[in-house]
Amino acid sequence: MSFRRYLPHYLMVAPFMILFVAFFLYPILSGLFYSFHDWNGVKAPEFVGFGNYDRILVSREFLRAMGNLFFYIAITVPLGIFVALGLALLVDSFTGRWANFFRNAFFMPVVLPAFLAATIWRWIYAPNFGLLNMILGWFGVPSINFLNDTGTMIYALIAVDIWVSAGFNMVIILAGLKNIPTELYEAARLDGATKLQQIRHITIPMLGPVLFFVFTYGLISAMQVFDKPWLLTGSSFTSYGGRRNALLFPVMDMMGRAFGGVKFGEAAAYGFLLTVAIVFVTALMFALRAWSERK
Amino acid sequence: MSRTTTMRSPITIWTVLKWTLAIVIAIIAVFPIWWMFNVVFSQPGEPVSLNPRLWPTSFSAGIDKIGMIFTETGYLGAYVISISYALLTIVGVLVIASLAAFEFSLFNFPGRRVMFGIVMLALMVPTAVTIIPTYLLTTRLGWLNTMQGLVVPGLASAFGLFMLVQFMRAVPKEMIEAARLDGAGHFQIYWHVALPLCRNAMITLAILTFIQTWGNYMWPLIIGTRPEMYTVGQVVGMFNSPLSHHTVDTVMTANLLAAIPPLLFFLIFQRKIVEGIAMSGTKG
Repeated sequence: MSFRRYLPHYLMVAPFMILFVAFFLYPILSGLFYSFHDWNGVKAPEFVGFGNYDRILVSREFLRAMGNLFFYIAITVPLGIFVALGLALLVDSFTGRWANFFRNAFFMPVVLPAFLAATIWRWIYAPNFGLLNMILGWFGVPSINFLNDTGTMIYALIAVDIWVSAGFNMVIILAGLKNIPTELYEAARLDGATKLQQIRHITIPMLGPVLFFVFTYGLISAMQVFDKPWLLTGSSFTSYGGRRNALLFPVMDMMGRAFGGVKFGEAAAYGFLLTVAIVFVTALMFALRAWSERK
Repeated sequence: MSRTTTMRSPITIWTVLKWTLAIVIAIIAVFPIWWMFNVVFSQPGEPVSLNPRLWPTSFSAGIDKIGMIFTETGYLGAYVISISYALLTIVGVLVIASLAAFEFSLFNFPGRRVMFGIVMLALMVPTAVTIIPTYLLTTRLGWLNTMQGLVVPGLASAFGLFMLVQFMRAVPKEMIEAARLDGAGHFQIYWHVALPLCRNAMITLAILTFIQTWGNYMWPLIIGTRPEMYTVGQVVGMFNSPLSHHTVDTVMTANLLAAIPPLLFFLIFQRKIVEGIAMSGTKG
């Protein structure tokens, strides 16, 4: 009786919920199952307990990927936000048409697919004739093979990363800036606060929640970086990670194990390890925020 | 006195610095895209092909290169695949998410909170954990190298649902009651009342979905293994791979063609794109 009353509601939610269960919930649960099994996709899965997890945690590639990831995150996330905040403040200091113009110019790289950003920059980084080496050549710097020199590879990736993502965060921060009441600035000006003091004591604190979102979101996506290093280092399941795996990252390692090594159980376990790490970091971020607000 | 003279502030060091900085950054942001365009629209024989060309020199040479890419490589096919993938995903996401958003935001029924809660949790789950199991499921369905394999797993978009629910919550309950009193059925209320009111959100979601599917690299890479199912992203990746013997002209033509649809979308819909992203960040 009551089910019939609610039937129209269920019918309209059904397409979404069915697809959601089939292509989200079920895959996650089956992934958990595979992660405890040795499986190459053909023969019957063989139960191995935590064997896959063990193997991943001690493998050289995993340690390398984690090391790269930490270094990459430590630079790209704070620097990315710093740049985005700077861009937002810069755009905000213009008015009308010029504010619009600069916002759009800074934002343009964001609409390009990440795969395209990586492939354009491959050519900018090209040794000898690449755009960047040419510009450096004007200043007498000898040619650098940015994508093959273990000392420069990760910085080359970080530059591409900031080039494509700074505009995205800028737009979010700009929206946050619009929400700060102008009276605050007027009051500060009357009290004789300088521009810099206003930014430090009004803008940044008032942007707190927005910066927190940008930081957390940036952290989560940085932990899953894939397209850019993949395409900067070779773009195939036989060659990825670059020279001495200097651009190997966890998701690349996971994809390599699945489709290069045909170890689906191991790859599923890898996915869970990554998820645990991401959930842990996210929870930590929220705990830190709660703690800092209580103070 | 005209308004401009009274409004103009004195030119300070800060003003000069600010303009210089803004222009330099704008150049850094836009130049690689502009350079790509210039490489395509210039004579192929010009020496040192990676030179920073500041403007296009030959329009017809560019057209020839584009013609060559479309006729002599698999690029046209990849274009068709990418466009179909994007369009089918957009239509699917809009229909499926708006139906569900209508129910979740405006009605109460047993299980509503639980279902919506689980879907919102999904927003926090990284793709890394679902991609391998979803691939395994899709293969088992026999959908490897098919359009449904490309499209269907991405249709239940938690983000799309979240965004539309935010908008539909603003639909006044009285309008629904009024429509019901006029004898409108449940589906008619959805179609004639709720949908028209969130047209803007639907358009924004469509644009964001387009940019996202056009730029999706990982899923097509593993689900479309045969050349006839390659998307633009895969072809661009192959053109750029170190083992390919394409010249910079050809590669940049491929890159430019991949960049044009999202850039055009941006130039036409820039306000909606920027608002959509700002909304996902500040309301999230």
